[in-house]
Amino acid sequence: MSSAEPIQKDEAHQAAKSSDNVPMIEVNNLRKFYGPVEALRGISFQVGRGEIVGFLGPNGAGKTTTMKILTGYISATAGTYRVAGHDGYSESLELREKIGYLPENAPLYPDMGVTEYLEFVCRIRRIPKNEWSARIASIIQRCGLSAMAHKDIGDLSKGYRQRVGLAQAMIHEPPILILDEPTSGLDPNQIVEIRNLIKELGKDRTIILSTHNLPEVQMTCTRMIIIADGRKVADGTAEELQQAGEDARFITSIRLPDNTTAEEVIQQLEALNGVAKVENMPSPAGHFRAALTANGDTDLSDEIFQCVTSKEWALTELRRDIVDLEKVFHKLTQY
Amino acid sequence: MRNIWAIGRREFSSYFNSAIAYIAITVFLVLVGICVFYADDFLDNNEATLRPFLSWVPLLFIFFLPAVTMRLISEEKKTGSLEMLITMPIRDVELVLGKLLGAFMFLLMTLALTLVYPVLIDYLGPLDWGTVIGGYLGLILLGLAYLGVGVMTSCWTKNQIVAFILALLICAVLYFIDWVVGTLAGSWGEVFAHFSFKAHFDNIAKGVLDTRDIIFYLSVVILTITISTFSLESRRWT
Repeated sequence: MSSAEPIQKDEAHQAAKSSDNVPMIEVNNLRKFYGPVEALRGISFQVGRGEIVGFLGPNGAGKTTTMKILTGYISATAGTYRVAGHDGYSESLELREKIGYLPENAPLYPDMGVTEYLEFVCRIRRIPKNEWSARIASIIQRCGLSAMAHKDIGDLSKGYRQRVGLAQAMIHEPPILILDEPTSGLDPNQIVEIRNLIKELGKDRTIILSTHNLPEVQMTCTRMIIIADGRKVADGTAEELQQAGEDARFITSIRLPDNTTAEEVIQQLEALNGVAKVENMPSPAGHFRAALTANGDTDLSDEIFQCVTSKEWALTELRRDIVDLEKVFHKLTQY
Repeated sequence: MRNIWAIGRREFSSYFNSAIAYIAITVFLVLVGICVFYADDFLDNNEATLRPFLSWVPLLFIFFLPAVTMRLISEEKKTGSLEMLITMPIRDVELVLGKLLGAFMFLLMTLALTLVYPVLIDYLGPLDWGTVIGGYLGLILLGLAYLGVGVMTSCWTKNQIVAFILALLICAVLYFIDWVVGTLAGSWGEVFAHFSFKAHFDNIAKGVLDTRDIIFYLSVVILTITISTFSLESRRWT
């Protein structure tokens, strides 16, 4: 018996490994009409375990519609989706068991107390009754609701109601969380707390969150999907999106030797392979600073480094310039 | 089953989270008392009978029970909390049954409080408790059918008042249908009498326990539950 154990463990390990490759959320060509209005025009994407995906897009782009379809509130006009391996149409109940959902504006029952409401959710979520008090205590503590536990939800501020919404989404420890604008209406301190909570949760589960707040996506999400006018216009990490479609830009600074002028340096740099443009940037006396734009996505750093060292100039700065995410967003969502 | 109980419990207790439920019950009980003892010269008739009670309560139910059910689903539609509830692992029919259960428990509690009247009447003179049991069974069935109608109209709109008025109209028409149509269409009245809440109630209240009457009310309840479930599901039809 004991000799079989390591093999079983190994198999279990492999099974766990292979399930990591199965996407937790799989959306294929989802379309949705509201009457004659086409809200989703064929959206496809996948989200794997442990990913925190930010859904971005202008108002009316289809973020909320996509989330409502994924959680089983409304159905798509066409297309298929699977969540945690469950088909969105034939296994809707099983699918909903695996999801914790926070709808926009956290619509809760204002006449219920916080603890009373969480007990209601425990009952619906089939959590054994002897675990209720421990679960509720732990979720109240994690969501920073300790001072509010005995108040009525209707008496809470927007930020605290949002936290109760998060608490109800997480109390059954679902593998997938879908959060529609989880930080809207919160003050900056609360935003940081909720963000950290989401990051911590994202370590062992899959999270999709929608937001208008670009810095939030950069700070919280491992990947972002940008939707505009019912279509997916971008999908990747912040770095990937920042680089996509833009000519690469490099910033370099050099300490000038006494006998060299900035013009000479510019000439040298312009002569380099793959350089499209050299822009002189303001710099302290005796220094030279410039932004070099490449033809396309070429990495110029080697060229620049070799040029500068061959002249025996002192290189003080050389880095790839990061494009402002807001510019990327603006460019992608204009139509 | 557990989902139905969870929702029913929540609804029942949420009735008592505001003063409206207490006020509504008090007003209802007082109105029943006024109607029973004063409207029909009950005190002058010198007869201990539940008849006035059993003829007035169904009428008052036409106003009272739609008020009990009106907010059940329409308010959740309005505030958006229905989205939260529907995206939990609950079947639509369980949601409807849970709402109905909550309202039904409220009905049973109200009826239990009205027992004060038979007790009072019994104090005035000996009362036939067989008719009391029959009458209450009739009220429970009739009330359940009204509640079914109310849950159904509450599924149709975000507006509680619209839900209330629609339920009231439907309940009133169903109660008086044999009387309304009977006077107009002669022999058709007999046909419509089969759909009359009042005719079936009168049978049970007389103490004639016929399975046809019970089946009638239960059919109405099942029909309204079915329509409610379809109404809820219709959000998925595109």
